Amino acid sequence: MRALVVDDSAVMRKVLIGALSRANINEVDQAADGAEAVQAVQQNEYDIILMDWNMPNMLGIDALKAIREMGKTMPIIMVTTEAEKSRVLEALKAGATNYVIKPFEPNTIVGKIQEVLNKSKG
Amino acid sequence: MKAENINPFIESVYDLFSTMLNAKAERKNVGIAKSANPRDIMALIGISGRVRGMVALAFPVSTALAMVNKLLNTDIKIMDDTVSDAIAEMVNIVAGGAKAKLNTGNEKPLDLSLPTVVRGGDFSVDYPTNSVWIEINFDSDLGPFTLRVTFEPEK
Repeated sequence: MRALVVDDSAVMRKVLIGALSRANINEVDQAADGAEAVQAVQQNEYDIILMDWNMPNMLGIDALKAIREMGKTMPIIMVTTEAEKSRVLEALKAGATNYVIKPFEPNTIVGKIQEVLNKSKG
Repeated sequence: MKAENINPFIESVYDLFSTMLNAKAERKNVGIAKSANPRDIMALIGISGRVRGMVALAFPVSTALAMVNKLLNTDIKIMDDTVSDAIAEMVNIVAGGAKAKLNTGNEKPLDLSLPTVVRGGDFSVDYPTNSVWIEINFDSDLGPFTLRVTFEPEK
């Protein structure tokens, strides 16, 4: 299993890599903005992506749309401070598989990762 | 600035501590900010949309290190880029949570800028015009810190 963690905060990427490790995913690439994420997806295959919303260069929501337009169907979990209902709906409509609002408890994100991976296997 | 506009920020601080830091924070005195930076390191983030304002979290070095070490399960002893990055993310989380709480109807969500971190007190913040910084001091399991919030006055 290979994951991509997209967040402009290196600290948040470390937190999310720790959560992926708890979900037994240890092969993880990192991207610091949406543009880097799109480039990474063009070059590699991922089983799951964790995506922030507010980032420089390209927003996570725009990267999500670009990745879906490429025909990629891997689970993408938005992990963001954007907590308004309209934002959640916008992301789900754009193809987000799930949505986690920061701040989160460690078990919450691990559970969401396992949940979407189990569904994608099914 | 109305109290109901401050409370979402205080609640967001509590949310941050209870979830990602597994610690408790307690609000202390509230007042008007007088100095540029009441602590050693401060992270600021802008809010824009139907209101414009700024949010800041300021920490003594000891609290900043304790928070980062709790978040990452590390033993960092000096201020470095990791600490600055973590402080920036914390103000992002607090501002993000608060702006959602401020959005009670179907208004367009407020937008957040990218956070900025400053160290020391040798700077000034003059934005927005004619507004004041409300300052709320906290004690916590990880040490004291200060939250500051300012909004452009409602017209």
